[in-house]
Amino acid sequence: MRELVGQRIIDSRRTLPFDSVPVGKQEAEGGCGVVGLACNAPLEGKYLLQSLIQMRNRGNGKGGGIAAVGLVPEQLGVSKKILEEDYILQVAYLDSSVRKKVEDEHVLPFFVVDYEARVEAVDDYHSIPGLEVEPPEVYRYFVKIRKNVLAEFARRNGLERLKENEVEDEFLYQNSYRLNQQYYSSLGEKKAFVVSHGKNMVVLKLVGFGDDVVRYYRLEDFKAHVWIGHHRYPTKGRVWHPGGAHPFVGLHEALVHNGDFANYHSIMEYLAQRNIHPLFLTDTEVSVLLFDLLSRVYKYPLECLIEALAPTTERDFEMLGEEKKKIYRLIQSTHIHGSPDGPWFFIVARNEVEKNAWQLLGITDTSMLRPQVFAVQEGPLKIGIIASERQATNAVLGKLQEDQRIPSRFADSYWNARGGSFTDGGAFLFTVRDGEEGKVLECADKFGKSIELPEQDWLPSVGSSLSLNASIAIQLQKGPGTQDPLGFYEYVRPALRDAGFQYVREILEELKLLAVKGQESRQFAIKALSLLYDRIYDTGRKKRSSLLQLYHEALNDVFSSVSLSNYDLYTRLDWKTRSRLIHPGIEGQVLVIDALEFPAEGEESAARFVVDAYGEGWRNILLYNLRGHRFIGSGLGARTNGLKIDCYGDVGDYVASGIDGCEITVHGTAQDQAAQILKYGKLVVHGDVGQAFMYAAKGGEVYVLGNAAGRPLINAVGRPRVVINGTCLDYLAESFMAGDPYNGGGFVVVNGLRPSFDGRFVEQEYPYPGSNLFSLASGGAIFIRDPYRKVSSDQLNGGRLADFTTKDWELILPFLEENEKLFGISVKKDLLTVQERPLDPRQVYRKIEPITLQELA
Amino acid sequence: MGNQELIVEKHSERIHHGLEVLPSLRHGLPAGLGNKRWTAELILATYEMALTGDLPKNDLEYKIGDSGGGFDVLGWKNDAFAKVDQETVDLSISLNKRGEGRKIEIPLPIYGGGMSFGSISLNFMLARARAAKKIGTYTSTGEGGYPDAIVPYRDNVITQVATGMFGVREETIQYAPIVEFKYAQGAKPGLGGHLLADKVTSEVAKMRESSMFTSLYSPFPFHSVYSVEDHKKHVDWIKTVNPRALVSVKVSTPTDVDMVAIGSYYAGANIIHIDGGYGGTGAAPEIAKKNIAMPVEYAIPKVHDYLVSEGVRDDIVLIASGGIRTADDIAKSIALGADGCVVATAEAVAVGCTHCGNCERGRGCQVGITTTDPELSQFIEPEWGEERIVNLYTAWTKRLRSILAGFGLKSVRDLRGRKDLLVRYK
Repeated sequence: MRELVGQRIIDSRRTLPFDSVPVGKQEAEGGCGVVGLACNAPLEGKYLLQSLIQMRNRGNGKGGGIAAVGLVPEQLGVSKKILEEDYILQVAYLDSSVRKKVEDEHVLPFFVVDYEARVEAVDDYHSIPGLEVEPPEVYRYFVKIRKNVLAEFARRNGLERLKENEVEDEFLYQNSYRLNQQYYSSLGEKKAFVVSHGKNMVVLKLVGFGDDVVRYYRLEDFKAHVWIGHHRYPTKGRVWHPGGAHPFVGLHEALVHNGDFANYHSIMEYLAQRNIHPLFLTDTEVSVLLFDLLSRVYKYPLECLIEALAPTTERDFEMLGEEKKKIYRLIQSTHIHGSPDGPWFFIVARNEVEKNAWQLLGITDTSMLRPQVFAVQEGPLKIGIIASERQATNAVLGKLQEDQRIPSRFADSYWNARGGSFTDGGAFLFTVRDGEEGKVLECADKFGKSIELPEQDWLPSVGSSLSLNASIAIQLQKGPGTQDPLGFYEYVRPALRDAGFQYVREILEELKLLAVKGQESRQFAIKALSLLYDRIYDTGRKKRSSLLQLYHEALNDVFSSVSLSNYDLYTRLDWKTRSRLIHPGIEGQVLVIDALEFPAEGEESAARFVVDAYGEGWRNILLYNLRGHRFIGSGLGARTNGLKIDCYGDVGDYVASGIDGCEITVHGTAQDQAAQILKYGKLVVHGDVGQAFMYAAKGGEVYVLGNAAGRPLINAVGRPRVVINGTCLDYLAESFMAGDPYNGGGFVVVNGLRPSFDGRFVEQEYPYPGSNLFSLASGGAIFIRDPYRKVSSDQLNGGRLADFTTKDWELILPFLEENEKLFGISVKKDLLTVQERPLDPRQVYRKIEPITLQELA
Repeated sequence: MGNQELIVEKHSERIHHGLEVLPSLRHGLPAGLGNKRWTAELILATYEMALTGDLPKNDLEYKIGDSGGGFDVLGWKNDAFAKVDQETVDLSISLNKRGEGRKIEIPLPIYGGGMSFGSISLNFMLARARAAKKIGTYTSTGEGGYPDAIVPYRDNVITQVATGMFGVREETIQYAPIVEFKYAQGAKPGLGGHLLADKVTSEVAKMRESSMFTSLYSPFPFHSVYSVEDHKKHVDWIKTVNPRALVSVKVSTPTDVDMVAIGSYYAGANIIHIDGGYGGTGAAPEIAKKNIAMPVEYAIPKVHDYLVSEGVRDDIVLIASGGIRTADDIAKSIALGADGCVVATAEAVAVGCTHCGNCERGRGCQVGITTTDPELSQFIEPEWGEERIVNLYTAWTKRLRSILAGFGLKSVRDLRGRKDLLVRYK
């Protein structure tokens, strides 16, 4: 009799006081920086810190917060039993004088308080730079509900048939609501509010940035299995209140949100129909109230909960099985007006009390309008990370690696979710639960399909001293002139597969020694190391992420060994020596820039320094230690032919935006808005690219090793020639206007491949999974590698599938040959071979061309 | 002279003659000229002012239209005020009131609105740029790119970055003292720019790097801006390419236009430019033209009052546009709370627009304004057009001074927010 139970809970809320539904939001969100991490061992808060700092440009300091789930009893001063059984009721007092009253009215009469403490904080908030508003004093009460109170509550509301924990949860929810209503009505005087009340979970927030929370409440060493952090970007209101910051809580879940709803009023009405009246009047609060309603009151399995929030639509719906379509249709009809409309991305931290599991979930909206990235690494710890951008995930892993807690700053796998899709449902979750020997971390998508990593070894900590390997030394002693970097790479490839980490370390030591022997050797070493870092190859039993760590360190050592010089092939500047920038000393001199301490944006940024260097005459620039530095390549102006820029590290967004002639190579992944309005020049990305890649680009020769996210090449014109070796989320080349490909126009080649863990290039399940391929395009063409004819015309929207001809092959072949040179993806063996048989290109590739639509005529 | 040149000369001469004669009312008020907003009298008065640089001498109505709404039902208070010498009235406004960044002031509270190359002819664009330079104010490229011929006037040209990013290159951003983000326009809120196939001539296609005679639609949002923090990223991008540029954000007027304004402010904008629903357009679907956003006379006080309550009103410049026709419209907008106005259609009327409404066709504009047809687009001689626009502004200057002096105000900045000086006609 499930529905009666749910209804009874809803009915029991009728007596809760509320103000009438306001017409609009009182606070407007912007979008924000969000990050979450989950680990099979408890991690300290300081690991959240770096990624929050790096995402500060996504917030404006008007609100930040964290949530932690899966805590350590000793740190809280309680026993394991109390941590498992009690609710952690945390009340934030903005006015400390009301504390006694609040306790007398809302705590003591109803709860047995097993333990209480003031949450630790720094003595003076002024000591945290940038904190202008004093954060609230928070008290933490470990409570159980008094038996007689509970019995009375159940009796009064007809809830006797519920399980005891269900009644307890609802009682707590209503009690907190009453407290908030009385002491923190948004329109009245704000004195106190419940900041969290779930089991084994704490939330803390203030007016400031997310990282300020970690500092102020001294969470650097506070441990938890699941963390989420958030910077807010609110734009309305002059006085900021901590109550408006994220995360918001339902009961045992905390939610942070990046985005903005258009149908806030509709959701308010939907909730009001169920006797739920939000108090803080922001999008985020209603999101978590929806989540709580669907999970705790309606008891939807997670898959259905996600469907209610982010419905599967269009072609993705058609691709579902019949059973699912039936259920999803029912869910959609009931909940569609409670489904948030607009760009949004949720990260939720929750305690599934009944299953004794802690979860971190990321759910993205159906139109994929917010960026998101997921990552997982397995080693001595298994960690899952969810964030608004890739560089935030690397910041977390980087800090853990620095502290030697994990072997590598690189995840084993990175991916994006496809919102509202039949492929992954637009949601992924990391669950920490009990395993045979301690806690385990599992990763699955909305449908429960788990993300598995192959069994491979990770890098052990540095052991004994390294002895140099004779054959490698001999090989290298033959002199770089006699062996080019590519030859060297091919030579060591078998060893990279078969040998252990020790051997790889030896190779790298040799290369580092070579680098300081002379300028040509240094050049050889850099090129060889770059190949090891960029290329895809079989790494045998060794995790690629661990090897990348070694290469990353070796490259950094080699770059750092470059000194400031007028006469050497390489010279180096960093933030401290930046004023010593002058023109190049010799022809072809390479300026190596250590970007670490440069600001990520602004007039003093690394990007502007590159512009200055170009102005001084530099034509070979190499940046390393990039940590989310933005706009690299912007501001150079017209006709930059002859300039080459190499980027090592985590490049930020807008790389190569607007370039006109130069060549940029990203050794790694590029992020959102890369190469927008690119006019002319070459871009090579040895990894994925983010959202709106090449938006309104006018030209360019572009090669991407991995995947593009949503809306690549949207509104592009002119003559871009692009090869994407992976695929993309959806909306590829929407409104493409790139003329006639045979006559100076543009095109995109999509190969639909991905690197396997054993270094081959294998076909992805769908060369193109979306339903908006080449929408409303009026020029250009797409050439897609689709030997199994999986792409169908119902995925198009104003284009048509056409025969791929010899003429088309002649057009794209030169680019595929260059693609082979850059990435080692063989035209013969990887592109034209299908199930081990070589095929004619016409059987492998298909063409999508525009048709003249009435609407566009 | 070649045949083409003869044709152009003949037609231009006739057009100029007509523009001179019509306002004299020798032939009476032309039937079928204009509409309720831009009445025949207003159009003729504008021709007259563009000819003489003075307010019309005959009885032509030059202050108000006949729409029965909007600015046409707002008038000026009749009370007596201590008079001020007209000549000393200061009409200048600042376009950057934030503490940092370059200081720009314009001598009148007006600059020219974006009309893209493609929607209008290059000659008209040149006329506008020359006029802006002469007066010391600005004109905007619109979203069609930055023609080379305009580059000499770059100090007075605003580059527009719109959702289709047509013609946006680093150098066009670097030329500009002010970069205008066009998120939307009032004449078709919720839609991007339209340029129908007829008008995408080879010159236009080249500038925009698209195909000839294929319609161009800009998307409704920037695909890189789905959220206000994305807008900040956008502003950061412009500042990286051109650290000295000021930023203007042009939006239409939805019900939450105040939220948009405050969001833009926090993202670093110097100017918030609200474009109301009476605005002109080279092309827009009927459904857009008939279901338009909030009228600008409602939007201005809404945004102004809100920015005041948020305590940021004096850090940001509020510009209003969308069917601003006369000096009185400008003054009323300022009285409602704007710092200044952007005009576009009025400049077109100054060079002979008759409001025939055929703008979206390739050869629809018989006076050479909204056309890129190789022949028709020659009708406007840039020097002549410059003079016409400068004259109109000069006449407006006189009217503005007169209004302010009548209220005893020494500066146009003192008029801002003075709703009390307005009366509503029944």
